Amino acid sequence: MVIGIPNGLIFRIYGDFARAFFAELGIRTVFSPETDRTILDAGVRSCESEACLPVKLFCGHVAWLRGRCDAILVPRLMRLTKRQSICPMFCGLPELARGAAAGTRLIDAPVYAPECGGLDAWAKQAASAVGAGKRWDAALKAAMAAHENRKAGFCDSGYEHTVALIGHAYNIYDRFVNMDLIRKLHALGIGVITHERVADADIARHMAALSKPPFWYFAQRYYGAALHLLVSAKVDGIIYVSAFGCGVDAVVEALIRDAAGGAAMMTLKLDEHTGAAGFDTRLEAFADMLGRRKANGDHHSPAGEYAYGYAGAV
Amino acid sequence: MGVRKLLLGIDVGSVSTNLVVTDAAGELIERLYLPTAGRPLEALLLGFSQLAKRFDDAEIGACGVTGSGRQLAAAVVGADIVKTEITAHAAAAIHVGPGVRTILEIGGQDSKIIRIEDGYVTDFAMNTVCAAGTGSFLDRQAQRLNMSISEFGACALRSTAPVRIAGRCAVFAESDMISKQQAGHAIEDIVAGLCEALVRNYLNNLAGHRMPEPPVLFQGGVAANAGIVAAFEKALGVPVIVPPHHDVRGAYGAALMAREVCGPTRFSGFGCVTSGLFAKGFECDGCSNGCEVVALMRDGEPAAYWGDRCGKWGVKLAGTAADARRQTTSA
Repeated sequence: MVIGIPNGLIFRIYGDFARAFFAELGIRTVFSPETDRTILDAGVRSCESEACLPVKLFCGHVAWLRGRCDAILVPRLMRLTKRQSICPMFCGLPELARGAAAGTRLIDAPVYAPECGGLDAWAKQAASAVGAGKRWDAALKAAMAAHENRKAGFCDSGYEHTVALIGHAYNIYDRFVNMDLIRKLHALGIGVITHERVADADIARHMAALSKPPFWYFAQRYYGAALHLLVSAKVDGIIYVSAFGCGVDAVVEALIRDAAGGAAMMTLKLDEHTGAAGFDTRLEAFADMLGRRKANGDHHSPAGEYAYGYAGAV
Repeated sequence: MGVRKLLLGIDVGSVSTNLVVTDAAGELIERLYLPTAGRPLEALLLGFSQLAKRFDDAEIGACGVTGSGRQLAAAVVGADIVKTEITAHAAAAIHVGPGVRTILEIGGQDSKIIRIEDGYVTDFAMNTVCAAGTGSFLDRQAQRLNMSISEFGACALRSTAPVRIAGRCAVFAESDMISKQQAGHAIEDIVAGLCEALVRNYLNNLAGHRMPEPPVLFQGGVAANAGIVAAFEKALGVPVIVPPHHDVRGAYGAALMAREVCGPTRFSGFGCVTSGLFAKGFECDGCSNGCEVVALMRDGEPAAYWGDRCGKWGVKLAGTAADARRQTTSA
C-alpha cells in the first residue's frame, strides 16, 4: 500500500510528520513533486473556481497523486490550538480535493488538536484507515519527533540587506507560485528571516499591544515575528507574501503595516495571473529603496523613532 | 574642443518607448515619444535612427535603461545602468524638486504610487492584476463613447455634475456607464464621472488608507488628461503638479541615474539596433516548468536569453544581459 502526500498547504509544514507517521506503520509514502505548470493547470481545472490559488494548487498536487498511490492524505484540519481558529478552506479540504482525487480514496480524518491531545484521535483513525490501527501510538510519537526535528525557515546572514519574509509556508516556500522569490532576493543582495526562527516568547510579547490577538494561529506568528524582527533591528524591512483573496493575509498584512510605522514594507500578491515582469520590477525597486534608505541614514529604521514610539505604547 | 558628454535615457514601456538625451547637468536636449505597438525593437530602431541624425555615438557619455522592456533594451543597446520604472520616476521627480513627497504615475498598463521623504523613496505600490486604474481603462471607455482620448480631458472639465460610476472593474464601469447614458445624463458628466472613478480606484488600490502627502507630482502618459488631474485635485484637496515632459519622465530618470555610473560607457552606439536583430520566444523543455524563454537574435546568432527560471540559457552566453543585470544589483 502507498499513501500519497500532496506537496501543498499544510504539508509544506507537516510533510516530515506525515512521512514519519506512515513509515513507522511500515507504509510507503509518495510525495507530489515541486509545483509546476502541469500541477497548476490540473488544480485550476479540478478545483472550485472561487477557491484561492493555494487551494487550487493543493488540488493540482492531489491530481498528480491520482494513479500513483492507493489513498491520498487530505486531513480535515479543524483546530490547531485552543481558542484559535483556522481558515474554513482547511475545514472543507476533503470536499475541495474530492474532484481532483477523482475516486482515489482520501484519508480525511479530522484534526482537533487542542494542545495536541486531539491528535490521538486523528492518529487512531488514520492508522486504522491503512489497516494498522493498533500501532497508532508509536506512529504518532515518531511523527511528532520528526516534526520537532525538522529544519524549518530561514535566518540568513551576510547579505547587504535583510528582510523579514512573512507569509504562509505554502506561499513563501513554493518556488513556482512565488516565482523563485527567495533566490531572486538573494541575487539582489537581500537575505531573509522567517517566523519559524523567532521564539514563541518574542511573538507573545507583541500580542500585548493589540486590542486582542488575532484568533488564527499563523496570524499571531506572522504578526509577532514581523514586529519582533523589526523592533530588535534584525531586519531592514518586511516583505509580506499574500495570496490573492486570502482573508487572513489581508488582515495580518494591514495589522503589520499599521504597527510598522514608516519602516520599509512591501506586499507581494500571488495569483495565477501574476506575471514575472511586474513581480521582478517590485523586487528590484524594493532593493533600490532599501539601499537608498540606508545610504540616507533611514530615520524610519527600526532603531530610529519608531522603535521608541512603540516601546512607549506598550 | 573636447566632445560633450551627453546622457541617454531609454524607457521601453508597454505602450510607449521613450528616449531622452540630456546634457551632463541633466538639462533636456531631445525627447522622443514613440508607440511601442508590441514591437519594442522596431520602436528602438526608429528612435535610434532619429537620434543618430542629431548626435554622434561618441557624445553619449552614459546610457540608462528602464521600463518593462528594460531587459530587452539593455541587452541590445549596452546599458550602463538598468533600473525599474519606480526608481527611474523617483530619480526624475527628485531632480525637479527635492521637496516632492508623492509621485502618482499612471501609464498604459500599470499605475504606481511612490512616496518620497528627504529626497529618497520610502514606500511604493504598483497595481497588480487589475488594470482598472490605468490608461487602458480610459482608452477603452473613450472608445465606447466614440471619443478620442485627447478630447477626453477637456470634455470632463465642462461637467458641472459628474455622475457616479463604479470604477472597481472596467467591466462594471461599462455597464454602469451605459445605464447612465440611457438615463439621459450629459456626456461630459459621464466622462467626468469616469475620471473620478479611475482616481477613486487608483487611490483605493494603491494609496490604501495613507493619503498622498503634498507636494504631489503626476507623471506618466495619463497626466496629459486634464480631467484626471482635476479629479485627483478634488479627491486629494491639494494641487497636483504635472511636470514638463511628464510623458517621458521614466526615460529622463534613467538618463539622470546613468550619470552616477563611473567609468567608460557600455553604450554600443545608435547603429546597434539593426534590422538583423529580433527577439523570439520559445518554451524550454528542459523540465516541467516549461519556462517561456526569450532569445535575442543578432544576425541569426543568439545574443542574449532571459525568462528561464533556472538561468541555464543565460549562462550559455556570458555577456550583455547578465552583465547589465549585475549592474542593476550592484549599483
